[in-house]
Amino acid sequence: MLMNTFQELTDAVEKGNRKEAARLTQVLLDAGTAPLEIVESALVPAMSNVGEKFKNNQVFVPEMLIAARAMKEAMAIIQPLLTAAGIVPKYTAVIGTVQGDLHDIGKNLVAMMLKGANFNVIDVGINVPPEKFIAAARENNAQLVGLSALLTTTMPAMKTIVDAMRAAGLNNVKIMIGGAPITQQFANEIGADGYSPDAASAVDLAHKLVAA
Amino acid sequence: MNDLLSALAARPLLCDGAMGTQLLANGLHAGECGMLWNTEYPEIVSGVHEAYRRAGCNLVTTNTFEGSSFALARHGLDGRMAELNRAGAQNARQIAGDSGWVLGDIGPFGDFLEPLGDMTAEQLHTIYCAQAQALLEGGADALLVETMSDPAEVEVAVAAAKESGSLPIVTTYAFQKNGDTEFRTMMGTSVEEAMGRAIAAGAHIVGANCGTGLSFADYLELARQMVRLAGKTPVILQPNAGSPQMVGEKTVYCATPEEMAALVPALLQAGVRIIGGCCGTSPAHLAAMSCRL
Repeated sequence: MLMNTFQELTDAVEKGNRKEAARLTQVLLDAGTAPLEIVESALVPAMSNVGEKFKNNQVFVPEMLIAARAMKEAMAIIQPLLTAAGIVPKYTAVIGTVQGDLHDIGKNLVAMMLKGANFNVIDVGINVPPEKFIAAARENNAQLVGLSALLTTTMPAMKTIVDAMRAAGLNNVKIMIGGAPITQQFANEIGADGYSPDAASAVDLAHKLVAA
Repeated sequence: MNDLLSALAARPLLCDGAMGTQLLANGLHAGECGMLWNTEYPEIVSGVHEAYRRAGCNLVTTNTFEGSSFALARHGLDGRMAELNRAGAQNARQIAGDSGWVLGDIGPFGDFLEPLGDMTAEQLHTIYCAQAQALLEGGADALLVETMSDPAEVEVAVAAAKESGSLPIVTTYAFQKNGDTEFRTMMGTSVEEAMGRAIAAGAHIVGANCGTGLSFADYLELARQMVRLAGKTPVILQPNAGSPQMVGEKTVYCATPEEMAALVPALLQAGVRIIGGCCGTSPAHLAAMSCRL
């Protein structure tokens, strides 16, 4: 019975059905399910399914957005319980758009998908200078920093940030980069730990980097 | 309207290339609002327009890509929306002269429409109407709704352009590759839906600009598809100068003016009526392209 409810919740989130996602979350909680189990066994798999379809060009940004909204609805119920129990996500990622660049759609999509994979995501916003990335990574003990740039003219700012983070001694923090003009070759050139071409692949990369 | 469209019926036209990179080359810092230069350094903005005109461009595009009040608010400049758009149109109008056309540039507002985002179609309509009006007041001959991903946003922008009295209205989408010969926008919109909805909304000229990861062969294939799907509606294409690469501390686009010029005959043969350039293009690229038009 409950297994069915898990599956129904996964389906509801995948389809972006917010009301149903909230209702089923409550059903599971009322049945005594641990909040974390709901996250790990229903919500994360839903976002992972959406991400997989996104990578295969079966769904696109709108479907990803509505699924994330449905997950957010469920998390609004679950998060206070997790917080009260002192349960925090295993990994923390700091994410932002680099200095000189004011675009945030790509960065927001990656943040959303990382949250969907149960990362603790610290979004430091747009036009972010190196110091702010460094401070946020330190304060939050982040394992991962994600840098976004849409403009070719702000790509060099990524190198500045990578250099500054290494110079600040944050050698254990993995750095991943992305954005329309970014390539793997560019990531190699500037010494970033990884590049991902889209928000769904960014989650795979994040898992790979934090596990390394 | 008849002016531009009838000219276009007689011969293909050349639109201009990138503005932002030209302003950066003139000292604009990354992250600063380039539109502010419409009033602070109008001579530099006009200088870029002039370089494109000298390169042989028939159409010049106003420096107002991020000119919606929503986009300008990121710089705290939403209060100066009308002034900066008007000035942008005036700078271009002054250079375009009698034989050139000014495209008043309207870019994406920078977020998602409801239900994906918080912006309602009504709110966005009001925002675009205000920008369109300011551009036309400044002397724009037509409005260019460009680099779009969401056909719903195109519909709102085209309706606003129409209401403001813009004739004609040009609409371009940014596509990415989704398979060997399949292209979609970031929102998953197919070329067919993108063209169809822009034309149904009332756009007089439709096409594509910019794009992600598109080779020249991809642009050509995209051009063929757009021409087929647009029917009688003229098609515009403004490709990037290849893909960007890091050289030393700078990002550069790899396609030379000659390489871009070599694409022109094939695009014309495919039926494209307005050719221009997007990211990474300079007056030198457009000058080389002009020779092949």
